[in-house]
Amino acid sequence: MGYFDISERVIEGDVRVFSVAGDVDFDVAPQLKRRIISRIEAGDRQMIVDLSAAGFIDSTAIGVLVGALRRLSDAGGSLVVVCDNEDVRSIFETVGLESVITLHRSHEDAFAALAHTA
Amino acid sequence: MHSLRWHTPPERERGTEQAECFSSVELRLPARSSELKRARECVSEAATEFNFDPKASYEFVFAVNEAVTNAIKHGSPDRDGTIGLSIDAEGDSLVCSVFDCGPFVAPTTQADMKSDEGGRGFAFMSALTDDLELSVEPDATVVRLRKRRTAGALVRNA
Repeated sequence: MGYFDISERVIEGDVRVFSVAGDVDFDVAPQLKRRIISRIEAGDRQMIVDLSAAGFIDSTAIGVLVGALRRLSDAGGSLVVVCDNEDVRSIFETVGLESVITLHRSHEDAFAALAHTA
Repeated sequence: MHSLRWHTPPERERGTEQAECFSSVELRLPARSSELKRARECVSEAATEFNFDPKASYEFVFAVNEAVTNAIKHGSPDRDGTIGLSIDAEGDSLVCSVFDCGPFVAPTTQADMKSDEGGRGFAFMSALTDDLELSVEPDATVVRLRKRRTAGALVRNA
């Protein structure tokens, strides 16, 4: 198991930001899922998942993000993702995931997209 | 033995030379999710040795990681509690086989990218490699992934 860490903060009053560092695979993706779901259940509706410091991301992690997006959409909320890793972006394009989850290159872009959908 | 194959049409020119120094890799991994990183590191090293470009290397590592995850998640380890992984060079391709000692467990969900469930693994493996072969026996499942080296890789790394 490699290094993995999730940190959280709230910006602009009600936007929950998860900053994920290290590899996000089947071994640790359930931790991310639990953290996100617990915040949704506590009432958070606007979320940014920042993968800027993340390394490898597998299909389990992608499933967590898609699931969280769906839960939030159903509850009238939204989730956006920050990721400027070209390898990850390429994988998303190859399998057509960019139409499901938009990967924003910067935190500012992600926040602007979130504000637009709110 | 039942065998299923998916073929992805070649998108790139074939390389004309084979990496002469590539050493085959055989690895037994404890069937634990904490071993996934070791599997990825092993495949990444092999891809580098075989002169895959960084994008192809990442794609191959991603695909193999899905196969190893499936073997850990759904497969059965051997009596020592391990699953197997081998990497070989075949012409201008790298071939990775991931094997466990259990029957094949078919995905229970559609390979729908919009789904929030699992089941994307084979879709990724198929999209990111040139050939995916699944061999199924009652006491053995083998996923064989083949990825071709791009024609320019040897030139760039020469």
